[in-house]
Amino acid sequence: MELVILDRGVERHVLIERVRGGYRVEVDGVSHEVDQARAGGRLRSLLIEGRQHEVSVLSDGNGRYRVVGTAGEEVLEVRDPLTHLAQAGADAAATGVKAVTAYMPGRVVALLVSEGDLVEAGQGVLVLEAMKMENEIRSEVAGVVSQILVEPGQSVEGGDPLFEINDD
Amino acid sequence: MDRVLVVNRGEIAVRVVRALRELNIRSAVVYSTVDRAELPVLLADEAYWIGEASASSSYLKAQEIVDLAKEIGADAIHPGYGFLSENAAFAGSCQEAGITFIGPTPEAIASMGSKIESRRLVRAAGVPVVPGGDDSLPDLTAAEREAEKIGYPVMLKATAGGGGKGMRLVRSADQLASAFRAARSEAEASFGDDAVYLEKFVEGPRHIEIQILGDLAGNVFSLGERECSLQRRHQKVVEEAPSPIMTSELRRRMGEAAVDAARSVGYTGAGTVEFLLDRHGDFYFLEVNTRLQVEHPVTELVTGVDLVEAQLRIAQGEDLDPNWESMLPSGHAIEVRVYAEDPYRGFAPSPGTIDLLRLPEGPGVRNDFGVREGSQVTINYDPMLGKLIVWGRNRDQALRRLGRALHELRIEGVQTTASLYRELLRDPDFCAGRLDIEMLERKIQSGELDPTPGDQGLPLGAIAAAIEHFERVTQRAVSFPAGREGSSVSGSRLRWREQARREALRGGSWSL
Repeated sequence: MELVILDRGVERHVLIERVRGGYRVEVDGVSHEVDQARAGGRLRSLLIEGRQHEVSVLSDGNGRYRVVGTAGEEVLEVRDPLTHLAQAGADAAATGVKAVTAYMPGRVVALLVSEGDLVEAGQGVLVLEAMKMENEIRSEVAGVVSQILVEPGQSVEGGDPLFEINDD
Repeated sequence: MDRVLVVNRGEIAVRVVRALRELNIRSAVVYSTVDRAELPVLLADEAYWIGEASASSSYLKAQEIVDLAKEIGADAIHPGYGFLSENAAFAGSCQEAGITFIGPTPEAIASMGSKIESRRLVRAAGVPVVPGGDDSLPDLTAAEREAEKIGYPVMLKATAGGGGKGMRLVRSADQLASAFRAARSEAEASFGDDAVYLEKFVEGPRHIEIQILGDLAGNVFSLGERECSLQRRHQKVVEEAPSPIMTSELRRRMGEAAVDAARSVGYTGAGTVEFLLDRHGDFYFLEVNTRLQVEHPVTELVTGVDLVEAQLRIAQGEDLDPNWESMLPSGHAIEVRVYAEDPYRGFAPSPGTIDLLRLPEGPGVRNDFGVREGSQVTINYDPMLGKLIVWGRNRDQALRRLGRALHELRIEGVQTTASLYRELLRDPDFCAGRLDIEMLERKIQSGELDPTPGDQGLPLGAIAAAIEHFERVTQRAVSFPAGREGSSVSGSRLRWREQARREALRGGSWSL
């Protein structure tokens, strides 16, 4: 999964994938082997290259995370690259038809809405299975699903268009 | 004694309730509206509402508290520290109502409560005092005359003072007028009494105090010293016993001076005689605190004496154990006070809800805390959450244990001073025991105790957030059986999903 994380004003490009029993997290080109475990409530144990780090993590449910570690507290904003692009381009192109593409290769598992449905910003549109994980692809804007370009069972490549939203 | 009313809140109320249960004495506490479900109430046998949040309408309501004690059949009142603990009139009202006030007599409290009176008394008993300060100063002219006589630098202090209120350092004559005005108005605001006096300012001193106990038979013993030089705004934040620079000879002399000072007023119960120790090894009497001190646990850990139990036994007429008279400290104890304050923003109060509290455990660690997870830290009371105290066979082991314990301590929801203590443990002067009462503020100001960045270069926050996000996104999707079509998703799953989505979209509130 590709993510853009706003971290104390810095835009970090993150690639995260499951590997045996843990994660490989690449941050701005530097790769880390990370094992994460829930340690009660909000506490998480992160073993990064085998070194223990205890953090607490809270989410606002909207992609914002409050992380408290030994160096204090920070609030990070996690976006998928599309949201990030959409957000960045939002000022330029106010409204219109937006195509949402797959950000990784996978297989469409389920459609959650039908063409012509009205969706809210953040509402799930379809479920994509990739690397044996299922990911809900959400619409970043409120609007009408003008076109669904895939069907359940279909394989897609990264960058393939999935659906279009008209937020006019 | 069958029942004791504890007139306090927070960690010290918890401390006294614990001692009462160990002695099989029923514990009753008073609580204000906001303290209804706090630790003292939860741990006590009985609890009685005394008023609204502000101290003046609850923990300071002297007459109502005495009436309550009579009504519930309490034999004694333990005042803890702060609030009514050094209020001679309150101790007197208890006495009149036939209730034992756990502390010295009202007369002893009154004479030690006045700084000028106490200086006069202890000086007559042969205890060295800081030059100056024989009378409160009626006006600026008197202050100028006195300052010239003593010689600059001088310290202005409130006659009714304590806790650093109404204190001003004056380095030269041209600073005196404004400092005099400021000290008076601060004294008036804090104590309702604007009387101030002057003392010679002792440069770079340590604050060293002697714990004393006096029984009703007139025995007064010293239980050794505590070093309390690390202060901010004249309030102690780190204390230890023994003092790193103490010699057995100096301990004997300071102990004798403290006992003499206490005897001069017929002192009974637990008390503390505070001294300044200058660079030449000369010490000067500061004041007597006629109550249990916040930092009493360090003495408990190096002497093995339970000071609250001792207070209760003395109040019941038991004599002191004669073996305590010649007791030497065993090992080393250090206490850090954990305040809900931001040490890097001038110790600004940090009110909030304690939403995570993990106290350290393991060898040599003691926690005296007055809060639990979910406790509200309000601006109504002192922001001290509690104290972390460690014991080691020597100072070096105690320091290492303190570092280990601070590593385990985790408090979220409010800022605390724990981060400052982690830095302090990296400070070569603190570690070597080179202390003076201005050191902490000096080092904070110079940036020597600024937070050390954690794992340099490691984007810990980004890694944690990425994994959390990944798991949230994928877990949400997991509720859909792989390979099935959207239309086959059952109605109940859809409703569940819808609910989860609504929760997520509501935003604003943090959740697990």
